[in-house]
Amino acid sequence: MRRALLAALLVALVVPGVAAAHATLLRATPAEQGRVEVAPTEIRLAFDQSVTAPPDAIVVLAADGRRLSGTVSQSARGTVIQTPVDGLVRREAYTVRWREVSADGHVGTGVFTFGVGVDPPPPTEAVGASGMTWRDDVARWALFASLALLVGVVGIRLLVLPRTVDPRVERRVHLLGVLGAVAAVNAGIVGFVIRSANALQVSGVDLLYADLSPFAESTRFGTAFLVTTLGFGACLTILAVAWVLDRPGLRWPAFLLALALVWSYPLSGHQATEPNASLVGQVADWVHLVTAMLWVGGVLTLAVVVWPLAPDLRRTAFLRFSRIAIGLVAALVVAGTVVAIERLPAVSDLWETSYGQILLAKIALVLLALAWGGIHHTFVRPRLERGERTPGVGRSLLGESAVAMAVLLAAAVLVNGAPPPVESDAGEAAPTRTAPG
Amino acid sequence: MLPRAEIAHWLFAAGFLFFALVLLAEAIVGPDVFRRRPWRAHLWPSLLLFGGLWLWVIAIFSTFSTLHLLAHAVWAQAATAAGAVQLAVVRGRLVSSYWSLVIAAGLVVSGASFLIHEQNGWLFARSAFLHHTIGWTMVIAAIFPVGAAFRPRRSVWAYGFAAAWIAVSVMLFSDRDVAPIFGHLSELAGGVPVP
Repeated sequence: MRRALLAALLVALVVPGVAAAHATLLRATPAEQGRVEVAPTEIRLAFDQSVTAPPDAIVVLAADGRRLSGTVSQSARGTVIQTPVDGLVRREAYTVRWREVSADGHVGTGVFTFGVGVDPPPPTEAVGASGMTWRDDVARWALFASLALLVGVVGIRLLVLPRTVDPRVERRVHLLGVLGAVAAVNAGIVGFVIRSANALQVSGVDLLYADLSPFAESTRFGTAFLVTTLGFGACLTILAVAWVLDRPGLRWPAFLLALALVWSYPLSGHQATEPNASLVGQVADWVHLVTAMLWVGGVLTLAVVVWPLAPDLRRTAFLRFSRIAIGLVAALVVAGTVVAIERLPAVSDLWETSYGQILLAKIALVLLALAWGGIHHTFVRPRLERGERTPGVGRSLLGESAVAMAVLLAAAVLVNGAPPPVESDAGEAAPTRTAPG
Repeated sequence: MLPRAEIAHWLFAAGFLFFALVLLAEAIVGPDVFRRRPWRAHLWPSLLLFGGLWLWVIAIFSTFSTLHLLAHAVWAQAATAAGAVQLAVVRGRLVSSYWSLVIAAGLVVSGASFLIHEQNGWLFARSAFLHHTIGWTMVIAAIFPVGAAFRPRRSVWAYGFAAAWIAVSVMLFSDRDVAPIFGHLSELAGGVPVP
């Protein structure tokens, strides 16, 4: 048996596979997300290897969905495919969808936009791109939940718990922080790929070979993705070093870096892309996110770290968190109100638009969580102050954590939703953006 | 914006060679002598840990295909996990020899990612051949940390582990975007057709 396995391994190593190619797009004319002043008569795509062009290898679409491209032809070596285009006019943007079959049989796909005399929209707004789906919401929820661990649990450890704690508490905080960083970086990658797939309109194996670079390089969410991927990777390394060296103070740079990285979400979401976007709205969005993460992280820390592992620490941790929770909730509500006012021009939008209805659902969940926290504040806090026993509080904190997770889900759906149109500076109602680019 | 792939390969080849030479030095003189100066014990685990950080940099330059992005993200996390665990072993935070199984798992996952992310066949071009070879080298090299987990006193595992990384670094130094392998370069990659 052992010899058979060894022989199979050697055969796998020695026998070469069929020489087959997978092509990558080198350049496009007009350039991806480029602006040209004269309408082109031809679209050319150059690949690093020979490709086979299916009949719909290049499809050029006007903003109204009209197809403007003709029959696709190839250069002699097969590395360039081109199609004539007709009917392009100035001051219009166009979408190019391309497909090629590489020699290995894989289908490479991509989408980009270009403008004639105008700046093109981001590829997420290409003709045929779909809006957000439940997959985007789940990815965003996973991101928020991981930030609750990375920013919340690590932040509460640094800001609330005493300098010296039980080693088991320290270990679990290390574990949750590292878990949060790993989850944040991976949720970011998954979210980016899903978002790109919505515009590419591909799935499965075709998605694995799709070109994501226009989304990474030409959209706000792509830039945020690049920055946060690198940043959360750095957070992960710093937290790992803090654990290895047993230097809890080293968590500070990871925490501060994570706080800075949260800023990338207001800069790539509705707060930056809507016509009435303002710096105040972006700051409010950042404060809203950070206070929410600290609040959820605080409840989680009490529920899964302090209560099960350190009975001696319960009183101190609970009372200290109670003190800052009031400030956190106040900042959370004020910042959330500022953001809501900016996104919802009329009060009636709250019940007349789907965005407003999701916001109402989120507010209801927040009120439930606040009421739960209020019960803890009113009934548990005095008993802890008197040094009395508090049976059932651990389970109650877990319940509050579950409600907090539901709040994060509602927030994820809200962030991915389309707010109602708002008046632009020129006084015209701007179109609703389903996918901030 | 995108640097040529071979530049990143050569940078990592240099890093891996240094990493491999440190491992080889430790294998030759033995851990007791090598770790008389504490910083030496921290050297290769730290290289692995911070190599993971650099792999994130490469990952964000790899959006030209989903597969490349995912493969580099996997390598970054595997390097971070393996480096952190080994550093913890060196510092005494983890004591069991079985922790070297994390390094073995990292090698298997990294090797598999190499094999999966190379979309061309073995003889397509030199880079394709080397990606396949590196992938299999990493998968097979996982046997050394597995051996170290169960027979920690035998030095053969340390020699084997060092030799595997020397092989990986040589292969990465040989890697070029478009170059023939055994005199052959696929026409699809720019090779001259045989008359």
